[in-house]
Amino acid sequence: MKNIIVCMKQVLDPEIPLSLFHIDTEARQAIPPKATPPVLSPFDENALEAALKIKDTQESNVTVISLGKKLNRVVVSSALAAGADHLVLLQDEAFSDFNTYLTAGALAAAIKKLGPYDLILCGLQAADTNTGQVGTGIASMLGIPCITAARKVELDDDKVRVEKVSADGSEVIEAPAPAVVTTNYEVGVLREPGVEAFMSAAKKPITTWNAQELGIETAGTDCFNMVQMYEPVQEGKCEILEGASPEEKAEKLVTRLTEVKVI
Amino acid sequence: MSPVAENYLGITGYVIFWFLFAIALGLFIQRVCLLIRLLKLGRPENRFDRLAYRFINMLALAFTQWRNLKAATLKDPSPIGHAFMFWGLGLFFIAYLVFIGFGSGFGLFTVLSGGAFETVFFSILDIAAILVIIAMLWVIIKRYVIRPERLKREETTEEKITQASLITVIIVLMLLHYGMEGFGYAAYGVPGSWPPLGTALANTLVSAGISRDSLVAVYQSLWWFNYILLLGAVIYAPRSKHLHPLFSFSNMAFKNLNPRGALKTVDIQKKEEWGVSKIQDFSWKQLLDGYACTWCGRCHTVCPAQLSGKPLSPRELILGMKEHLLKVGPDLLKAGRAAAAVPVATGEAGAAGSEPAVVPPENPEKAFIGDVISEDAIWACTTCLACQEVCPSCNEQMNNIIELRRHLQMAAVTETARDPLKNLRVRGNPWRGTMYARTDWAEGLDIKIIGEDSHVDVLYWVGCTEALEDRSLKVAQAVARLMKQAGVNFGILGEEEMCCGDPARRLGAEHLFQMLAMNNIQLFSSYNIQKIVTACPHCFNTLKNEYPRLGGQFEVIHHSQFIADLIKKNLLKLNQFREAVVTYQDPCYLGRYNDIYQPPRQILKSIPGVTLVEMEQNRKNGFCCGGGGGRMWLEEDTGQRISEMRLSQAMDTRVQVMATACPFCLQMFEDAARVKEVGESLKIRDIAELVAEALEIPKDAKDKA
Repeated sequence: MKNIIVCMKQVLDPEIPLSLFHIDTEARQAIPPKATPPVLSPFDENALEAALKIKDTQESNVTVISLGKKLNRVVVSSALAAGADHLVLLQDEAFSDFNTYLTAGALAAAIKKLGPYDLILCGLQAADTNTGQVGTGIASMLGIPCITAARKVELDDDKVRVEKVSADGSEVIEAPAPAVVTTNYEVGVLREPGVEAFMSAAKKPITTWNAQELGIETAGTDCFNMVQMYEPVQEGKCEILEGASPEEKAEKLVTRLTEVKVI
Repeated sequence: MSPVAENYLGITGYVIFWFLFAIALGLFIQRVCLLIRLLKLGRPENRFDRLAYRFINMLALAFTQWRNLKAATLKDPSPIGHAFMFWGLGLFFIAYLVFIGFGSGFGLFTVLSGGAFETVFFSILDIAAILVIIAMLWVIIKRYVIRPERLKREETTEEKITQASLITVIIVLMLLHYGMEGFGYAAYGVPGSWPPLGTALANTLVSAGISRDSLVAVYQSLWWFNYILLLGAVIYAPRSKHLHPLFSFSNMAFKNLNPRGALKTVDIQKKEEWGVSKIQDFSWKQLLDGYACTWCGRCHTVCPAQLSGKPLSPRELILGMKEHLLKVGPDLLKAGRAAAAVPVATGEAGAAGSEPAVVPPENPEKAFIGDVISEDAIWACTTCLACQEVCPSCNEQMNNIIELRRHLQMAAVTETARDPLKNLRVRGNPWRGTMYARTDWAEGLDIKIIGEDSHVDVLYWVGCTEALEDRSLKVAQAVARLMKQAGVNFGILGEEEMCCGDPARRLGAEHLFQMLAMNNIQLFSSYNIQKIVTACPHCFNTLKNEYPRLGGQFEVIHHSQFIADLIKKNLLKLNQFREAVVTYQDPCYLGRYNDIYQPPRQILKSIPGVTLVEMEQNRKNGFCCGGGGGRMWLEEDTGQRISEMRLSQAMDTRVQVMATACPFCLQMFEDAARVKEVGESLKIRDIAELVAEALEIPKDAKDKA
């Protein structure tokens, strides 16, 4: 029996239409739209799919850990419906979307608390902040190897075998288990649960811990300082260049493009 | 003298008569009981409500032959032949009962014979037999010579034998009728000139100078031959491949009395209701469909999936169900009996009682999904309901397909349907990747959002497609403009609106459908919504016919009905002359599902300058756009595109505009028009857009212009 841990982050839906996306510049955070619930980060869904693919072929226990200030039960428990066996929710007012140091620390503490494990899977990066620091952070805090951007993950008796794309082909990397592997989209899209999976998910265990229960220090860990958050203003200006012949128009166009330093 | 009163080798005819009768009846009952026990392998389904109505309905449907006759055309008049055969054989059935059963069997021969009753009845039979023979000759020509598309299929040897033997038996029985009449009258005295053919033949025989003894001998031989042939048919019929004459009546009696657009609601808590993978997962009524199938092949030739070269044939599905049941059913019964013989452990399992203790195993040699019907065929259905519309036996082909889809989605959603279904679960709409929010189309139109102001008379249910899909936004804008112009106090739910659940349900994801539906029903109740108008026939059907089963009762109106009413009440003045020849595409979920054919046509006719030209296939026979049943979101990579086939039919009418009243039709045809590069020569429009274009321009606006 293999123990696989998957870290999944709840994020603001990256697919919401532009007109629903607003930022509170004062509070320096995105305003969640009223009727649009958050989602599990698509990168982390790939990580869960990698875990489930291992579970398809060998007996495994998949635990999903999700960390956040306020987690939406329906959203995070969809990981159980997809096929995870156990859900651990780390909820604390001290947690933040941007404090990757604290996040990695809390996740590492939870993983230690859960007991023996063979593999830890994380998405390549979070779909909201895109920092890509948590997976490597967990590995360094637990003192175990880390392989990033995997497209295929296999788990043998005592080693993790990972395939990843490189500039001129692909490489296969092996590391002793346990290890942290971060996955990219090529490991596959997360399977969508059917009714059977949804019904059985309701019976699966959910554990909730806060920072104190994890025994971690939150004060003083805030080593990030958000300076500004704003919606970029996109402006389009159109200039029509007149000319008697196509040649003249082309000449004018080249002159103008040179002026504005495009060419 | 009745032939049964004679002695044969010292045995009186009565003994032989009743002996043979008992054997035939016994064998008939034995087989029919087996067929019924096979049906009972299926799941329970309550079709025993309103029994009196069901009975009368069955009589009306069967004896008028309505479902059969309505298919009669000049090109294919065979339904008339079937009606002749049905009525003719019906009369013969009565004759056999009266003259053979009562007359001969109970010795009432002398009472019934020779009187006015016999004369009248036999005269009718003389004509009936001719009609039956003509019908049977037509069957022979049709089935063996012409072989139209609907009858072309690779029959098994058994099926071929069934077909040939039934045709032969019926023709021989008819000829025997004349033979017995002729020889009987010739032997015992010709009554006059009625029945016409019988007496004519008798007179010929008499004038030929045949001795009375010979006449009597021939008559009695013919009588016994007729009787034995009849009993043989009684034994053979339930064992043949043609069970329809025995089971179509009951299929009509147990026909669906609920709105045809409403699918069976699954109790999500009950695992045994999650779709169908094995033959015994179907309900007994669904299995009965197989017995009732007439092989007429009408469903096969109207199915858009079949016509466009997909692997689905509703006929083969239904016949496949029957064949599979007859093949594996007896083993399943045996396994069930063996399991029942094993004493059930006492205690909790025994006490529960509701669940069957042992599920009989399916024959492992042949699985239902894969062998009887392929997965590709299951996904090819557009749920257009054309098959059920034309089925003379009231079969429900489409429902079976949804049950099979439910099974395929049970463990995990199939890859092809994953994107729309996941988007439904996570975001409440099937349009993954839309750039629009649900209120973007309404920007600048000053439309009430019910969450902000719930004092409205009507909820305009926009639907995902019209709120989120680029082309369809214009329809939502047109509908809103019309309602504003007519002074309707309406509002929209905006971001709170979720998909009605139709795509989820039709793709087999019942749990998602129920989740979305419950959410919407709660929302309607919280805003005290009574009246809903929608421009999408799929939303319309779901809200109107399926939500009541989940506790949501609202008045639901399709925009075609609503706009037609506004025009009738003179609240919309259509003065802009718009010279155009227009054809109208009946959306399946509006037409066949809900019988709404007239309002959209009324609207088109009330637009000044518009000439409406019908396509060859219209109204009940309308041809699908290919977008129903969740197919809107699935790839169509086999055969022709259904939408392009229909667009070609529209182009054949040489119209300038193809109007429809459904966002799926609109989008399917817009795509087809691009592929076929029709350009400006054929525009695809929703009826609301055409009405909005024809609206009287307010006077001040005209002045400004």
